[in-house]
Amino acid sequence: MWQAMVSYLADWQVFVQAIVVFCVPYVIAFTFRWIRSAGERETTNIKAVDHEDQQEIKPSEVSADHFSGDFTVDMQLVRNEIGHNSDVRFREFYIGGTDIRAAIIFVDGLSDKDLIDKHIMKSLMADFSPKYGRGQLEVKPAIPNEFLKNHVLPISGIKEACDLKDLVPQVLRGSTALLIDGSSEVLILSTTKAKTRNVDEPTSEALVRGPRIGFTEALSDNTALLRRHGENEDLTFIKFQVGKRAKKELVIAYIKEIANPELVEEVKNRIKKIDMDDVPESGYVEQLIEDNYLSPFPQVQSTERSDRVMSALMEGRVAILLDGTPFALIVPVTFSMLMQSPEDYYERWIPGTLVRLLRFFTALISLFVPALYISFISFHPGLIPTKLAISVAGTREGVPFPALIEALIMEVAIEILREAGLRLPKPIGPAMGIVGGLIIGEAAVQAGIVSPIMVIVVAITAISSFTIPSYNLGIPLRILRFASMFCAAVFGLYGVILFFLLLGSHLVKMKSFGVPYASPAVPYRLSDWKDFLVRMPLLMMKRRPKMMHTKDSIRKG
Amino acid sequence: MIARPEERITTPQAAVIVINYILGVTFLTLPRVTVEAVKTPDVWITVILGGLITMIAGVIMVKLSQRYPEKTFYQYSQEIAGKWVGGLLSLFTIIYFFSSSAYDARMLVEVTSYFLLEGTPSWALLMPFMWVGLYLIMGGINPIARLYEIIFPITLVIFTLVFFISFQIFEVDNLRPVLGLGVAPVLQGTKSTVLAYTGVEIMLIILAFMKQPNKAVQAVLIGTAVPMLFYVMTVVIVIGALSIDGVITRTWPTIDLIRSLEITGLLFERFESFFLVIWIMQIFSTFTITYYAAALGLAQLFQKDIHRCMFYLLPVIYIIAMTPKNINDLFTFADLVGDTALYLFGLLPLILLIVSRLKEGKHEAKL
Repeated sequence: MWQAMVSYLADWQVFVQAIVVFCVPYVIAFTFRWIRSAGERETTNIKAVDHEDQQEIKPSEVSADHFSGDFTVDMQLVRNEIGHNSDVRFREFYIGGTDIRAAIIFVDGLSDKDLIDKHIMKSLMADFSPKYGRGQLEVKPAIPNEFLKNHVLPISGIKEACDLKDLVPQVLRGSTALLIDGSSEVLILSTTKAKTRNVDEPTSEALVRGPRIGFTEALSDNTALLRRHGENEDLTFIKFQVGKRAKKELVIAYIKEIANPELVEEVKNRIKKIDMDDVPESGYVEQLIEDNYLSPFPQVQSTERSDRVMSALMEGRVAILLDGTPFALIVPVTFSMLMQSPEDYYERWIPGTLVRLLRFFTALISLFVPALYISFISFHPGLIPTKLAISVAGTREGVPFPALIEALIMEVAIEILREAGLRLPKPIGPAMGIVGGLIIGEAAVQAGIVSPIMVIVVAITAISSFTIPSYNLGIPLRILRFASMFCAAVFGLYGVILFFLLLGSHLVKMKSFGVPYASPAVPYRLSDWKDFLVRMPLLMMKRRPKMMHTKDSIRKG
Repeated sequence: MIARPEERITTPQAAVIVINYILGVTFLTLPRVTVEAVKTPDVWITVILGGLITMIAGVIMVKLSQRYPEKTFYQYSQEIAGKWVGGLLSLFTIIYFFSSSAYDARMLVEVTSYFLLEGTPSWALLMPFMWVGLYLIMGGINPIARLYEIIFPITLVIFTLVFFISFQIFEVDNLRPVLGLGVAPVLQGTKSTVLAYTGVEIMLIILAFMKQPNKAVQAVLIGTAVPMLFYVMTVVIVIGALSIDGVITRTWPTIDLIRSLEITGLLFERFESFFLVIWIMQIFSTFTITYYAAALGLAQLFQKDIHRCMFYLLPVIYIIAMTPKNINDLFTFADLVGDTALYLFGLLPLILLIVSRLKEGKHEAKL
């Protein structure tokens, strides 16, 4: 009895392995926790430093930057602040028919010179006639701002600034400041004329059918595009400022009667938490507000298409537009949403459905086909049809490498080609792709480095990965393809299954702004499946996606 | 982070958890095990009978859990049976759960190294599997339920496909005569088929997480009915194709059947790879849910952090999984775990239900 019991006691090796089983994930988990907390620690440190700085500054801030009303003093004040800049223009003159001194201050290139010359200067100098009575003028040699606003200046946007802090940022943004002797309030005339390009067809998201209009770099153009989509008084734009040093405008767009207020609040909170001195592109915003920055998957959708943003808003999502970039962000996002194209809805439902199914299929191909090739060739040749196995073995006869190396050579080559094609000037790019792809593929087979079947596999994978409509979803699939290839090289089919389970576990754990990333696939919501793998006829899609928890769920009928 | 009611699981999710838990190892051995016990081709009747008994047991467990809303078995067993007895019962349940997850893990190693990866050392197969499982369960019950919802349709599709193909070597004569030796052998095999359905006991724990606990009976009925359908189909087709004599001599009759299939002209001539794919996924789900249940039990019993319990369980499960020396040891171990399950989840919930009713009655009488 005792003997039998002892014989079942495990070897010391098993105990060592048990320690390994415990330690590896523990170390990994610890590292990840450390990385996460490191990010948080850094931000709190910076905040503490900020706080100290502010305390030091505060006492010195008392000095008066207010305008006095004395022209020379005020001019000197402004000159001291921004006069050293070569692009800031000062133009002094006398207001027409009087000897009141005045000056305009503007930034060359940012302000509309035409407007300044033809309307502001002309109406102040040539056309000016003090209709409010000469008698008063002699007593008080000042012109009330009200009079200028109401009778003289033919400009729609006029504001008043009474100190330097108010004035400088606006002038630097393109407004014109009008200083008049005797008035302690400086008029700010909005003469901003940003150089924008025309609205073009978005280059990163081409469609056969659908509006040919895309966002531009100007925020006002972009919001106007959304406004113009259809008369909708519920469409709300809320303005924020991001960037500590280079301040930029950021707009959150949502539809008041549809979007879940909790979601809107969450987006606002995360935007407010952005603490960066400069936010050059919406990609920065995306990375600063996403839920899990350690995941390879994009958790925010970026798009250049206004119709895409609008239809997302109509589903109860929130859009984030940043000045200076044509890419708008949409949150929350789900995996299936990144696999959809607006065209699915513009075309009839049968082609829409088939194309969608095709896309999911190609996503699977681009992830798993090289891995399956490796596992079948090097581990389980018995599982593929005998004839195929023989022909594959025949073509691989001269290949000196194992299947993994063979696949890696070709996959890396095609990634290099893709990257090179992207960076090259437009006319050369495609040519190089063809030359590189055809010649390298052909020559590699001729030289016996890879088998022809491998070239087919790589080509199919590459083409498949191009069918994914979102560029930022294509990238993680490309990365994960290599991971799956390594799994297959170690454990064959078993490794591929484990990789699938790991990937699945990761996807179901993720959330984007409170919405499970894998929805609507899971959890099961039959009503949301009308717009998932298949795209049902529009007549049948009467409700908004349930996963969004919208205020008003009924689309029609 | 926005907290939503989704943190609880829906009724279909509960049903899918039960289905995925039940479908597991037994898939491959069920025809042999039951034929060994019944010795007539009437096994399918036994399988249905076992399913019905399990449903009754499941409903009892649900009724018991429903009396203690938002509490798991580990929490309310102490309320019913007192601190010590209840704690002991919980401890037994925890041991049962991690032993059965260790059994699943070892079974996976056996089958994988036999059919897919000959010569790969067991530890290499087992470790990554356990780590992936750990990664999943660290997310809590919701990701578990969602992943099972992904696995389940894949299982359904491939299973149906494979079994339609197997119809080509199916012979009805192998299933005749029906009840040729009377009802007695059918009843004799019931115990072994009931064991194939171990998995409904998860209702004792997940009911606490359900969004609509009043629908738990539905979940448990559907959760048992679907595996019953799978099992009946498996048994009927395997016995129909291989005959009972053929089944009894094979360790893995189901895989042997699928290996013997060959269809030329399709992309794949053989389908065991498909079948092993879904089988590994099913084992993964059985492994993870039992692992999670054990970790949750430890966390609730000793008031510890659940992530820590998960990490501590890893080496324990590993050592238990590596202890059986060969496949026969493993089957003995399986019988042991199965017997425990019978007493722990067949009788105990009924007793606890009665005790808790009585207690309540007393309580009311006092008032």
